[in-house]
Amino acid sequence: MAANPMYQFNVYRIGPEIKLGEIDISFTNASLFMVISSLAVLIIFNLGAKKKSLIPDKIQLLAELSYSFVSKMISDTAGSKAKPYFSFIFSLFMFVLFCNMFGMIPYSFTVTSHIIVTFTLASFIFIGVTVIGFIKHGLGYLKLFVPSGVPIILLPLIVVIEIISYLSRPVSLSVRLFANMMAGHTMMKVFGGFVISLGIVGGWLPLSFSVALTGLEILVAFLQAYVFAILTCIYLNDALNLHH
Amino acid sequence: MSEDQFKTRLKIAKNKARSKKPSKSEGSSSSMGTAFKMSTELVSAVVVGTIIGFILDNWFGTKPWLILIFFFVGVIAGIMNVVKSAKRMQK
Repeated sequence: MAANPMYQFNVYRIGPEIKLGEIDISFTNASLFMVISSLAVLIIFNLGAKKKSLIPDKIQLLAELSYSFVSKMISDTAGSKAKPYFSFIFSLFMFVLFCNMFGMIPYSFTVTSHIIVTFTLASFIFIGVTVIGFIKHGLGYLKLFVPSGVPIILLPLIVVIEIISYLSRPVSLSVRLFANMMAGHTMMKVFGGFVISLGIVGGWLPLSFSVALTGLEILVAFLQAYVFAILTCIYLNDALNLHH
Repeated sequence: MSEDQFKTRLKIAKNKARSKKPSKSEGSSSSMGTAFKMSTELVSAVVVGTIIGFILDNWFGTKPWLILIFFFVGVIAGIMNVVKSAKRMQK
């Protein structure tokens, strides 16, 4: 294994090379970990929903707790109108959370530390929210770009600013998740490298840092999944309840 | 235990539960998230503005000007993003 701290982000092919025209759609380690995390979500929540006993066992409790957690998050930020979108936000939150958490296992691959993955998720949300806004409000959704009470001279500038700030949503959403995951994992690898290079004498200090960083990274993994989901709710709220 | 005694104890317990609601540890852990949220919001608006300026410059052949203008418009949009999300947090 290389000592390079960026080596962990390498994407390599598993199995045969598959080509669809010019596009390479081979199965990679990134796709493997996406499949693993989606399967884990499916298995855990299917097991949790199977028994439906009044006194829940551990796995049912887990499923119920996460259900009420996401449901409360949606009703707090986006109101009751966002209830139909619960399943989307729930699966989004669980997918990001499980990808982040599977990335914490040593020798595993963190899918969300690649900007293309997070940007794809974010642009799906962005396009979806825009489409929902136009369906709900028709062309009136464009009022989002025209705040009320602005003098007519400033209006062209304000509209341009609002459009840029609207377009920056998927960028900030994806960069936040990607940067957090990549920076954290790189830092852990760097400190791990210090432990090896300082040896048995001086390696204890970076080792203790590594332990602390692991705890911090688990917190960040949860927090970023939470922030990702809650911002989706906020954008959905803007699309559903137009108030300007 | 008499009923009155039970009622007062229930009242105390309810008050305790109510006052506990905004727990401190929750606030401190998510404030790190919001701090990061603010910074990316500022940066991403600048990036998007600059990219739009670059594309428009290539279209109209007005090489340095639109990218300069849109950079500053992006800065304004970023600051507005931060102000907006700060307002949203205070609600």
